[in-house]
Amino acid sequence: MHTFLTRGNALLTFTLSVLAGLTFFCFLSTALNAYSATANIDTVKVLVKNVPDYSAQKEKQDLGYLMFDLQADLNPLFNWNAKQLFIFLVAEYETTDNKLNQVVLWDKIIQRGENANLDMKNMNTNYYFWDDGNGLRGNPNVTLTLSWNVVPNAGTLSIIRGSGSHSFSFPNEYTNVRAQ
Amino acid sequence: MAFNFDTHMDYEGQHFAEKLSHIIVVVFGVIGWVIGYINQQFSQTILVLGVGVLIAAIVTLPPWPMYRRKSLNWRKPRKEVTVDTTKTEQKEVVTTASKQKKKNK
Repeated sequence: MHTFLTRGNALLTFTLSVLAGLTFFCFLSTALNAYSATANIDTVKVLVKNVPDYSAQKEKQDLGYLMFDLQADLNPLFNWNAKQLFIFLVAEYETTDNKLNQVVLWDKIIQRGENANLDMKNMNTNYYFWDDGNGLRGNPNVTLTLSWNVVPNAGTLSIIRGSGSHSFSFPNEYTNVRAQ
Repeated sequence: MAFNFDTHMDYEGQHFAEKLSHIIVVVFGVIGWVIGYINQQFSQTILVLGVGVLIAAIVTLPPWPMYRRKSLNWRKPRKEVTVDTTKTEQKEVVTTASKQKKKNK
């Protein structure tokens, strides 16, 4: 503390410690936040095809195709410790081979300040709905749910599943690949 | 050092300056945290803290007169003493140099 520069150094290091403390209290103020919300999901059109996935193997596999509606108000999830949301639509179903299959069909990043009141109609999926065999045709119970990561300034990266789901069944016949 | 002006503070001044800078930074930090919490913007917390740091820098970094009130009264140097020390220092240098030579051989 005897020269100008040592005083400046002490001031800056102390400020950084204080800033770390403030950030920690910011995390504490949102640590108990549940970040829950409701999503209304509906399917518009559901098809199943039987085509080879050349990226995996040459044998034919079931490929689901669907269009969906999504309505969810995610504005309440944002606070001063939430920078962005990563929301993703997951399909879950059971086959004879696997008790639980989970496939991410669609995702979206919503940054703070953007419109988080979602009202989407006739959305296509972002990713292919591949089954690892022939478990989709005639599957009676496929459940769609919406989940999200809350990306914080400081703290844990939480994964929350929204309440509200939609179950549907795939048709018993394959759709011709060319006919769409 | 790039600064030509005298930046000295006396001991009590140094202690007071450090204490004062801590108080200013913490107070602005707490105020900023509350403002950020109310407006739900953590960037406002950081801004207010930054203002506090600037104020603390202006108040406590330069050697203002209030930090130089209790300076120590050093004894003035005597001429004879300074001459003696230079002589002894020169002697020491010579002896150590001769020792090194012996070691090298």
